Amino acid sequence: MAVLGIESSAHTLGVGVVEGGRVLSNEKSMYHMGPGGIIPAKAADLHADNVGPLVSAALKRAHISVRDISAIGYTKGPGLGPCLRVGQLAAETIAAHSGIPIIPVNHAVAHIEVTRSMFGARDPLVLYVSGGNSQILAITDSPFRHYHVYGETLDIGVGNMLDNFARAADLDPAWGSSVERLARGGRYIQMPYTVKGMDFTFTGLMTNASRLLGGRPSRDVAYSLQETCFSMLCEATERALFLTRKSEILLSGGVAQNSRLRAMLESIAQSHGIRAHAAPNSLNADNGAMIAVVAEKYQEKGFRFPSKARGIDQRYRIDTVEIGW
Amino acid sequence: MVKRTRAAHRLISEGAEAKLYGARLFGIDAVLKHRARKEYRIAELDERLRLQRTRSEARMLYAASSAGANVPAVLFLGNDKIVMERIDGRMMSAITAGGWSMRTMRGSLRRLGAQLAILHNAGIAHGDFTPANILLGGSGKVYVIDFGLAETTGSAEDKAIDIILMKRSIPARAYAEFVRAYRAEYAQSGSVLARVSEIERRGRYQARTLLSA
Repeated sequence: MAVLGIESSAHTLGVGVVEGGRVLSNEKSMYHMGPGGIIPAKAADLHADNVGPLVSAALKRAHISVRDISAIGYTKGPGLGPCLRVGQLAAETIAAHSGIPIIPVNHAVAHIEVTRSMFGARDPLVLYVSGGNSQILAITDSPFRHYHVYGETLDIGVGNMLDNFARAADLDPAWGSSVERLARGGRYIQMPYTVKGMDFTFTGLMTNASRLLGGRPSRDVAYSLQETCFSMLCEATERALFLTRKSEILLSGGVAQNSRLRAMLESIAQSHGIRAHAAPNSLNADNGAMIAVVAEKYQEKGFRFPSKARGIDQRYRIDTVEIGW
Repeated sequence: MVKRTRAAHRLISEGAEAKLYGARLFGIDAVLKHRARKEYRIAELDERLRLQRTRSEARMLYAASSAGANVPAVLFLGNDKIVMERIDGRMMSAITAGGWSMRTMRGSLRRLGAQLAILHNAGIAHGDFTPANILLGGSGKVYVIDFGLAETTGSAEDKAIDIILMKRSIPARAYAEFVRAYRAEYAQSGSVLARVSEIERRGRYQARTLLSA
């Protein structure tokens, strides 16, 4: 039996179908990130308009009907409240209609687990980089099996910083991949570099980079911004690698689509004689299949979620989630 | 001088930041700390970080020692290398891992609190104040090593991070002993400890479980 997953934590609405860990379909629609960034209520309205057709499209692409679905997962958080609510309501509606269990999923866990199961990585060190968060994690069994946070951003997520910079530089669409394109062939300008042990901060760097725009070629600013923030992430990751002695690195989350960051992590892995894994871009960008993958794992282990354990949680921390598989 | 001894250099340990080699200089047992090039980052950034940190570490070691803290003496400073006095002692993290006897550790914890008080009083935040960077000498002396992330600072926040890192890494009773001595020896401990509680209340820290690795 297949499992349906709905992701709606931010600008992307995604619906995916998974069976036995295999992705049968992964449909999405996106809110356009213009100069105003995301306006949560507008993104939520758009998601609400699209969620019905997108569910149908995902089922059709997977060549199944709603009767072939044995459970439905949705993103409980972290994310933007109005957007999360759309996914939850859609999931509750379908579940109530077909009498199947509904499974709340942590967005960060989904990003990581979809990559971990794809590569069969048993116990990797994880660099999770997305819009709202940037964390260095590994599974630990005490006091319960969960992703322990070894290091993380002390202010904003690295993706958020890149999106902000894209807006300041008038890029369209205003997000990280536009910054990556702009950065090609740039030259280095010195910028603030802040790593504290395995933690890091990005706001000072962002302010500095935005102020340099206009005075310096934007290509050089974008290049230096990327080099600086990715070096910070890599330094903290390498420190965690020495501490934990893990034998695999896993890169996941939206910013894992950046080819420069992938190359840098690959270089660290090589120098340690270990392997680095990153999923294809379609699974690193926010998507519904990753939610379905985790929902299926919960279902296989017989987890049940009564209505009071559902709802949404905008600040749902990854280290509060039990990894029960 | 350094060139001649290089052949005898033996790798003691490798960390994320640098490699440590055993060495002898001026007839003194020494440690050579080398910040090697990191291939993942571009040369301009890499060089700046390595030189800046090496220089800053030497400066911080000197400042700490001038203030009266027990730290290794700097014997030689190169571009990306420091040669420093070798301290004979047991790493506190080895004891942490092997279980604690408060009876034998009480004195060391008090002296550790006093060492941090000396550093903070001199306006130095260590930046990586964990049991892996504390050596317990045979004489009962407590040494603080690795000033690679140390900074001169007036901010209670930077100092509070030192306290929090230690707090996360040792048992609660040991922390109580350590912090009692710190409080007694450092006049401005009140504002630092108030900041510790404030940081612990911040969302991002709240759910962090004790480091088990």
